[in-house]
Amino acid sequence: MALRVAAELRRGQVVNLGIGLPTLVANYTPPDAGVIFHSENGILGYGPHAAEGEEDLDLINARGEHVTLPPGGAVVSHTDAFAMVRSGRLDVAVLGALQVSEKGDLANWMTPEKGIGSPGGALDMAAGAKRLIVITEHTNGGAPKVLKECSYPLTAAGRVDLIVTDLAVMEVTGDGLLLKEVAPGWSVESVRGLTGAPLRVSDGLKEMDFTLPQHPPVNKVYPSAAEAVADVPDGAVMLMDGFGGLGGMPHYLMLALRDQGAKGLTVVSNTVGIARVSGFGTPPSPDLQAVDHSILVERGQIRKAIATFPVSPSPSRPSAFERAYRRGEVELEVVSQGTLAERLRAGGSGVAAFYTPTGVGTVVAEGKEVREFNGRQHLLEEAIRGDFAFVRAHKADTLGNLVYRGTSRNFNLVMAAAAAVTIAEVDEIVEPGVLDPEAIVTPGIHVRRVVQRPAVFSPFQPIKPIEDNGRG
Amino acid sequence: MAKERMSRDVIAMRVAKELPDGAVVNLGIGIPTLVSNYLPAGSSVVYHSESGVLNYGPLAEEGERDYDLINAGGQFLQWVPGMSFFGSDEAFAMIRGGHVDVTVLGALQVSERGDLANWMLPHRGVGNIGGAMDLAVGAKRVVVAMEHTDRNDRPKLVRDCAFPLTGRRCVSLVVTDLAVIEVAPGGLVLRETAPDWTAQEVQALTGPPLALAPDLKEMEL
Amino acid sequence: MAQGKIYPSAASAVADVPDGAVVMLGGFGTPGLPQGLIKGLLSQGARGLTCISNTCFEPRADEYNVARLVENGQVSKLITTFIGRPAQEVPALDLWRAGVLQVEVMPQGILAERMRAAAAGLGGVFVPNVYGHPLDAGLEKRTLNGVEHVLAPPLRADFALIGAHRGDHLGNLTYRLTQRNYNPAMAAAAAVTVAEVREVVAAGGIDPERVVTPGVYVDRLVLEEPS
Repeated sequence: MALRVAAELRRGQVVNLGIGLPTLVANYTPPDAGVIFHSENGILGYGPHAAEGEEDLDLINARGEHVTLPPGGAVVSHTDAFAMVRSGRLDVAVLGALQVSEKGDLANWMTPEKGIGSPGGALDMAAGAKRLIVITEHTNGGAPKVLKECSYPLTAAGRVDLIVTDLAVMEVTGDGLLLKEVAPGWSVESVRGLTGAPLRVSDGLKEMDFTLPQHPPVNKVYPSAAEAVADVPDGAVMLMDGFGGLGGMPHYLMLALRDQGAKGLTVVSNTVGIARVSGFGTPPSPDLQAVDHSILVERGQIRKAIATFPVSPSPSRPSAFERAYRRGEVELEVVSQGTLAERLRAGGSGVAAFYTPTGVGTVVAEGKEVREFNGRQHLLEEAIRGDFAFVRAHKADTLGNLVYRGTSRNFNLVMAAAAAVTIAEVDEIVEPGVLDPEAIVTPGIHVRRVVQRPAVFSPFQPIKPIEDNGRG
Repeated sequence: MAKERMSRDVIAMRVAKELPDGAVVNLGIGIPTLVSNYLPAGSSVVYHSESGVLNYGPLAEEGERDYDLINAGGQFLQWVPGMSFFGSDEAFAMIRGGHVDVTVLGALQVSERGDLANWMLPHRGVGNIGGAMDLAVGAKRVVVAMEHTDRNDRPKLVRDCAFPLTGRRCVSLVVTDLAVIEVAPGGLVLRETAPDWTAQEVQALTGPPLALAPDLKEMEL
Repeated sequence: MAQGKIYPSAASAVADVPDGAVVMLGGFGTPGLPQGLIKGLLSQGARGLTCISNTCFEPRADEYNVARLVENGQVSKLITTFIGRPAQEVPALDLWRAGVLQVEVMPQGILAERMRAAAAGLGGVFVPNVYGHPLDAGLEKRTLNGVEHVLAPPLRADFALIGAHRGDHLGNLTYRLTQRNYNPAMAAAAAVTVAEVREVVAAGGIDPERVVTPGVYVDRLVLEEPS
């Protein structure tokens, strides 16, 4: 059964295996299959069980079994392990079952007679995974476990996609269960006799197929920033800018986006082009200026900014964004820095909205729900997600695992987790296993593309007159 | 002839006395940044910056710039042992979660109830909120360091802030170039005056009435 | 006597845990479980505790987890995600049936997020409703972006007892592999955090890039007794 489930897993997929039968799936997935196993206690990319005598007592899966951590694995906290489940980074969850229904309902955490149960991580996995596979014995002491309705308390309603048992493989469709495969030596009728729900038979019904799929390697390393940003469409929501200074800023990707020319962009950023007009970007010589968001503003590519520090600290030295704002060419939503960080964190953690005490009684409270908790007023703030995140990190491995340097973590870390497509700009790309799994800050599952900065690259450019950008 | 007021550095020196040993402290931009220069040797104050660093040390030497090591004002820091780095979400979780003991912020206006306005001049129409709103609600104690009056000698301590607010009822203490003033439940209390300044002279440059502390004294540094 | 954050023994580090305290106990399985501190709390004897712990399993012969405190009658309420498999019996269940022990179970992701909300100073967070009946009784529901969400309130504690790998005199901590689990969230969500570590190093003895729990969250450090 575990072998059959292993055949469902694709290269690059992030997969969580529940307690019981599901944990066996890891043993039948070849290390070179490129499947990334996620465990809720905080590991990504773990390998098969440790050989006897080679167990590391600090390295267990969610069932408490000693596993291994092959090159490219990463360690995260429990909180982050569930944040990535809720935010849609988990491709497949494989769970055991007490009962499963033809509607895709699953019951696996509690029997009614006991009166109390252990939700563990199963409810979170079932709700968060993009695809839910149930692996279970077909019957329990002869009684069917695949039913029209579950009588036990549910783990999830209508979430199951595929059921793999010792007798059959069944797909949950809008029209009930579809029998796709039967175990060697079993007929459709004998399977039906042990199933508590009607089975439709697939036209392509076959004997259970254990062939492990072959998939081409996933390549996250792009040869240039231009190629990495080529598909950014007009109107995209872009998460970019570390903090404001030059350390955490993805200059190479920003220059490529300027040349690519996408327009109507919404930029989510701590600052919008203040490096040029503040101490954050003081150039080493007066004939140079910092590369920052201004290069996009000047080309008319930005329609809206969501930022905490949108304008120059000095009114007498306005930034390109402030000038565009005064001309009415761009929209601005000013937010508090901690709220921006938390809204992005929420976006990358499957939190839709949250109550924060910040900003009550100020302009940012306008139009927002105010609510009291423990005698203190809070504002309801909503999550932000981006179409793309441009992230500046120090090193990446080819799986997209990232480490940062110093204070350049800042907003990069929350942005990396909060976008559909995250592109990392790094100083160096290394092979999996070179970065210590304990030191990885952003796990590779958040990162779709990696680009190395050219060896000779400056965050400053010679000052030149603003070109005619064709808007006139 | 106008009386001499204390310099920005002397304001910072006075604020330094408000930072107890072992306190976790966040210093805002402007006069607050200067405060770290006036802590006694051996002080174990732990500095927090929204840029994502704890326990940072002195500013980098002139000409030394590591772009990956800055404070929230964009100044370069030295690499010192005992620092730790984290992302912006954690930096602000620490603030709202109650782990910052004292923050020192600059101000455009402070009201007699402790309302703070420091992020936008209304006539500019646009401003930078940055991390001040979070610090105003999250830090256990908010100390304001500012000049007592604006460029046109109008009081910055006012009955009601006319400028957009950063936080309501958040300021505990105000240190200016003329005085040390506590925000008490009943209003403002004058605790210390700058050398050569009388309570009446300070009151004349202050919007709301000042109650006099029983132990009102000259500012000690 | 404690020197700064360094306490001489587990007993001294938990001596002031009062009756009725809310105590988070770190660990997922054995990694990250502060066994010395739990032993200390057993001898100290505080009662009427609310304990928050991922699992409540019967411990192995030489293991100290929350079940020891439960069986010792020190716990009046247990907040956990795992109290045995559906068909499995654990001693805490007998106390629950006898009405001596209150038990509140919740999904792991919700537990972790509630601690994180407390740590981050939030009033509550809306997460997709993964609760099934009867777990979601009493929780506020709201449909956001077309999906039913529940309002998860922050979960704080008076004390967090956690296990880590290395600590410096400032309280900065690193964990080894899956020792990390709930420990960083608990450290940040409690008023007083006590960490049991395998090694204490001088202030600054940990690479700033590798600190996982910054020292502001950690009040006391105890060296783990060699087993």
